[in-house]
Amino acid sequence: MSQTADEKARSETPEHDREIGHDEFDPIGTLTLIGIYFLILVFLWFFMYFVEFLGNDPTVVGGTLVFAATGERLR
Amino acid sequence: MTNTYIESFPAEAKVVRAAFYSSFLALAIGGLFGIVQTLHRTGYYRFMDSADYYTVLTAHGVLLAITFTIFFLVGVFTWAVTTSLDRPVEDIRFTWVWYGLMVVGTVLTAIPIFAGFTDSEMSASVLFTFYAPLQGHPLFYFGLVLFVVGTWLAGADWFRSWWAWKQEHPDERIPLPTFMVLTTTLMWYIATLGVAAAILLFLLPWSLGLVESVNPLLTRTLFWFFGHPVVYFWLMPAYMMWYIMLPKISGGKLFSDPLARVVFVLFLILSVPTGIHHQYLDPGIAEGFKFIAMTNTMFLLLPSLLTAFTVVASMEHGARQRGGTGYLGWLKALPWRDPVFAGMALAGLMFAAAGFSGMINAGMNINYLVHNTFWVVGHFHLTVGTAVALTFMAVTYWFLPQVTGKELWSRSVALGQVVLWFVGMTFMSNAMHRGGLLGIPRRTAEPQYEGFEFEAAVGSVGELDAQIALGGALLTLSLVLFFANVIGTALNSRSDDLPANEYADTLSGPSDAPLVLDNLKLWTAIAIVLVIFAYSFPLLSIIERGGLFGPELTELPVSIGPGLEYLSTTTVSTVTTAGETAIAIIAGVGS
Repeated sequence: MSQTADEKARSETPEHDREIGHDEFDPIGTLTLIGIYFLILVFLWFFMYFVEFLGNDPTVVGGTLVFAATGERLR
Repeated sequence: MTNTYIESFPAEAKVVRAAFYSSFLALAIGGLFGIVQTLHRTGYYRFMDSADYYTVLTAHGVLLAITFTIFFLVGVFTWAVTTSLDRPVEDIRFTWVWYGLMVVGTVLTAIPIFAGFTDSEMSASVLFTFYAPLQGHPLFYFGLVLFVVGTWLAGADWFRSWWAWKQEHPDERIPLPTFMVLTTTLMWYIATLGVAAAILLFLLPWSLGLVESVNPLLTRTLFWFFGHPVVYFWLMPAYMMWYIMLPKISGGKLFSDPLARVVFVLFLILSVPTGIHHQYLDPGIAEGFKFIAMTNTMFLLLPSLLTAFTVVASMEHGARQRGGTGYLGWLKALPWRDPVFAGMALAGLMFAAAGFSGMINAGMNINYLVHNTFWVVGHFHLTVGTAVALTFMAVTYWFLPQVTGKELWSRSVALGQVVLWFVGMTFMSNAMHRGGLLGIPRRTAEPQYEGFEFEAAVGSVGELDAQIALGGALLTLSLVLFFANVIGTALNSRSDDLPANEYADTLSGPSDAPLVLDNLKLWTAIAIVLVIFAYSFPLLSIIERGGLFGPELTELPVSIGPGLEYLSTTTVSTVTTAGETAIAIIAGVGS
């Protein structure tokens, strides 16, 4: 299996529409992507509370939170 | 004529090629054992005895986590040093010596592991971690030692090249790829001291019968002294590929050479003093020491997040040069049809998910929820099994033509292969993580129990098993495609029309990096001081409590015959003692 030289040139030599130097480059897309990743992490961090504590029997920390919220001690 | 690696460095290309082929052989055998385990655990197809599951698991772990990864990375590192310093190795015979030593070590380690399938007395089904009191045949430990010594000599080879280069270029900065190799090697030297001590001082003499027993907590702690940094030994070459290859393939330049250097320095100083985070559930290590290990581990997130930023920014630079626009629209301008790019980018994406499950593992309290469950297996199939393995497979499609001088057999098959790996791992690893949250244990041949069901809030265990088996099947298919491409390329004829042996330029180059970053002595000294802080008190307290050679310990040779004998003798002696005690009590009451 081989491909034509033209195809290969296209896939292996990156086409450059323009040259962007150090000072013109503003990585706003990177900020957007990393920002989305950060939001996913924050969401999962909150979600973890439900998986760890509410999915299982009360723990020391869970019990304290319940006590703080309701004033009732868990047994 | 193009300027490929094999044309510039024909002798070195042979060693690199040999290292790659050794690594692929390990990948083939280890991968085969992967699907065997997947089908056995989930209960879809069990053709072997469940006791043999642990032999398969040992071979899978050792061949993939040690042999596949390390053979591949010594090839990449040799390529990186020779290419970036633009000089051949100092003495090619020495290079073949360390490669040969690694091969001999691997064979010696594999013999007792595979003997576990036969009726012979020899066996080493001690799993990748070889925790005492599991005891393998001495050959297993001896082979591991030779293998590690081989990697030490490889490191010496790279340092030798650098020293020779420095004599001729006294005022130049260390080229980035060589800098990455040297910092990683220094980290590896510090890390392997732990496993060398565990094997040479304790496990090997114990398995030879020279000492009566060992302190299991001590050898475990020394194992994890090495066992955590070894993951960075796998990961650093993958990072190197993301830093120096991915930007070029994206059509751009590396965003920042100084940031890349900072990242590798941080890994050198922070990789080792974290191993105790694998031992959060080990009794005998004080919580305070575990807390210090957790803090160090959380600091390790920093270089990985720096990498996420630098690598994505470099890709974005390429995409914008190719005409990409918008906040996210630039992603479409990336060369997704190039298997080298697609494989590495998908590997990086999986690593972002692994980052989250890693943070869960690293947190002391949350770790209790997932420790020793299938979650952990899901986690490292995202890290070493995808971030590292998929990156290695993807760059193979670039390296193979470089070291063979032959055109890649098929780029379309290559693209299918990397995508299939990503999809297969998505199914398998996601189901493993969820299974772990239900409490399904790891390292268990038959995690099905009579009169007990794992309760799933969403879905069912059957559904998870189906996803794991499906994922495993896709991964196996992906491996078959990979090997078809490797073999097809090896059988191709030589081509004159190959890309040149180059790596990425930088937007912000080494002249922007503070000189102190290249001061390897300083960073090594800081790394050693941190290791002393993190490990001297825990080790002293373990020795103080359990002794250097531990309490009386009956070893458990892991072949089935002696194992059963061990169980029956201990059961008989326990029953006899209990019986005698009972009789004595009854007699006492009666009198």
